[in-house]
Amino acid sequence: MTEGRQPGGSPGAGAGWAVLGTLIAGMAVWGGIGWLLDRWLSTRAFLPIGVIVGVASAIYLIVAKYGK
Amino acid sequence: MGILAAPCQPGDTGFCAPGVDEFYPKPIIEFSVAGIDFQFTRIMLLCWLITAVILAVMVAAVRRPQLVPSKVQWMGESAYSFVRDGIAREVIGVEGLRFAPYLATLFLFILGNNLLGIVPFAQIAPTSKIAIPAFLAIISWVMFNYVGIRQHGFVKYFKDILFMPGVPKPMYILVTPIEVFSTLIVRPFTLAVRLFANMFAGHLLLLVFTLGAAYLLTVGNVSAVFAPVSFGMAIIMTFFELLVEALQAYVFTILTATYLAGALAEEH
Repeated sequence: MTEGRQPGGSPGAGAGWAVLGTLIAGMAVWGGIGWLLDRWLSTRAFLPIGVIVGVASAIYLIVAKYGK
Repeated sequence: MGILAAPCQPGDTGFCAPGVDEFYPKPIIEFSVAGIDFQFTRIMLLCWLITAVILAVMVAAVRRPQLVPSKVQWMGESAYSFVRDGIAREVIGVEGLRFAPYLATLFLFILGNNLLGIVPFAQIAPTSKIAIPAFLAIISWVMFNYVGIRQHGFVKYFKDILFMPGVPKPMYILVTPIEVFSTLIVRPFTLAVRLFANMFAGHLLLLVFTLGAAYLLTVGNVSAVFAPVSFGMAIIMTFFELLVEALQAYVFTILTATYLAGALAEEH
């Protein structure tokens, strides 16, 4: 077998799935905190804000982690 | 439990959509040890059989290795070198070679169990029962955390998860909860659910088209002309399932390797 490329997809697939997991975690954590704040203060704004903050932080985290 | 369609009553004359019941076949053996009830079903039997088959093939492959490999030796060697070179070395690097036996075992076990979903007469993948993917995910989770703790020491390993190097301090407020949640909870959860859900959905998909074809043929009116369409879809979906089954085994293995690589890396 020659060096370099191996059959059956790239190791990038693993990183791709890991990135997706981080995005989900970002939305879940900060969206969840927003949802709890909404329930506590009986507002409606914190869930969407939390989801957006979560995705933004997750993207930041991904760039810091995999973007080297 | 009719979740996907209205539950079928015994007197109903319409099409009975397959439901969750399909995953709870009648047990072959039932027994109780210390107050815990055990059921040995055909799904469990299939899992044991395929494990024995994988074992037999791999033992036969390496027992008397020849310079010019026999067919079974070639099969076993290509499967192993696919995981060793294509996953362990490619994702983790040279030090990943010591995980190649585990990764190869994981890959072959999942692949074998998945493929049972389209093997005639077996027709169900044991991985469509959440217990098997969940347990495999727990093994992988314990393993990458253990490897990380061994590599860096308990304090440094968790310090690197909590406070990722190379991130400015104020960002930790936003980033730390995500990193903890994604590493310790999302990783094992998604590993298990991705495999389970793909196999579960695939089994139901095949059942809908095959049972649909059978129903359309026997309903006794002009609908019978649509039966070949449903049957054709069942065949197309069988090939699609072959792709999904192989892919999910690959994804589970490569993700485990990615997590191991992350745990081993100097900064993760």
